[in-house]
Amino acid sequence: MRLKLISCEVLYREMCAAVARSPHQVDLEFLPKGLHDLGGDAMRARLQEMADRVDPHSYDAILLGYALCGNGVAGLASRALPLVIPRAHDCIALLMGSRERYRVYFENNPGVYFRSTGWLERGENLDQSILGTVRDRTGACYTLGDLIARYGEDNGRYLFEQFSSYQRHYRQLTFIATGVEPDDRFERQALDEAARRGWRFESLRGDLRFFEKLVGGEWDENEFLVVPPGWRVKPTYDGGVIDKEPIP
Amino acid sequence: MSDLYDAVLNGDAKAAAEATRKALEGGAAALELVQREMVPAMDEVGRRFECEDYFVPELLLSARAMKAALALIRPLLTASGAQPAGRVVIGTVKGDLHDIGKNLVASLLEGGGFEVIDLGADVSPDRFVEAVRANAANLVCVSALLTVTMPGMKTVVQAMDAAGLRPRTKVMVGGAPVTQRFADEIGADGYGENAAVAVAIARKLMAAQAA
Repeated sequence: MRLKLISCEVLYREMCAAVARSPHQVDLEFLPKGLHDLGGDAMRARLQEMADRVDPHSYDAILLGYALCGNGVAGLASRALPLVIPRAHDCIALLMGSRERYRVYFENNPGVYFRSTGWLERGENLDQSILGTVRDRTGACYTLGDLIARYGEDNGRYLFEQFSSYQRHYRQLTFIATGVEPDDRFERQALDEAARRGWRFESLRGDLRFFEKLVGGEWDENEFLVVPPGWRVKPTYDGGVIDKEPIP
Repeated sequence: MSDLYDAVLNGDAKAAAEATRKALEGGAAALELVQREMVPAMDEVGRRFECEDYFVPELLLSARAMKAALALIRPLLTASGAQPAGRVVIGTVKGDLHDIGKNLVASLLEGGGFEVIDLGADVSPDRFVEAVRANAANLVCVSALLTVTMPGMKTVVQAMDAAGLRPRTKVMVGGAPVTQRFADEIGADGYGENAAVAVAIARKLMAAQAA
């Protein structure tokens, strides 16, 4: 098959590693991590635009290197080519290689901040919090100095405190290594960050299976949603995460 | 409009407290300051947010100014026996630690004349139910920032039903990934697309309750 992969850059190294070993010909396109911060509707609109630009005569399917991602794929429509999407809430589940493993980890470890190669090297200030949303949607800069310059000393400090308050709830930083890392530089960077923030650190062995199955064409119903032309993605908020529904 | 209205609209906490102090010294009634100055100011803040003239930082600063004024006004309201617009229990859903939006909604509801019982982040359905009982709350507001934790909102609705607290107590849901469709699916009574509309929806639910 000839496949077109549209993926978040956070998964850059993992996707490239998987594509290199795929039996299929896969063309790659990466989109900025910042899409995640735009909110569901804006992210979907951008993904739709990219999917609609793919020449249906040149490919057999469009693969998405995304999960439900804060409803960023909700409503995404298949026009001429089938869309293939992993069934997961976010990239952490993809990096862990299993929805169930993520669910159990999430339940047993509240207040965990995740890092991986992509989360460390792609983009700046990669906050997995509303902070990113606030910044990108508002254009408000949010270093303490920037906030003070914009809102004055007193209000600037207040806003900075509000925007960083979420950090009080975090207690641990977990680095997910999928085996594509060149050496221990990323893990050390994550360890340093944990030490700087005063958080516990854990290094977790991730898995490339979601990536390999996606670009390898192994789209079993349990782990992948295939959306045929004329259908679109619908979040289900149950074990399967997403489903398809006809475009009205 | 007065200095207090301007101070809230401009997000100036010091000026808001100062204007409130002066107004009270000048014989203004506490309830009137809320109804004639602060509520209209926050309505205007909400309007500006809707048309993208104001953003989240401005909302936070106006809410802060309003709180500074409320700190002076609330003791007088309590002493005069004035009833709050309603009693609200608020928190983020179990497993979700993102609370900026929840904090903002809590502040805006307080400014809108509601009594707010803030349970914080990562709140279990049982804690929501207990707090509603203990405070005879009219509304429960539940926030989620992750699709992973959104199903927990349904559990809160079910726990409220099981405890026999509905339909007397209404359930409102919000948070970035939450949609009207999801709110309808889980049987929530209200949904706020953003923090700025939360007060209007809470008032509507209170009115429906009274009717």
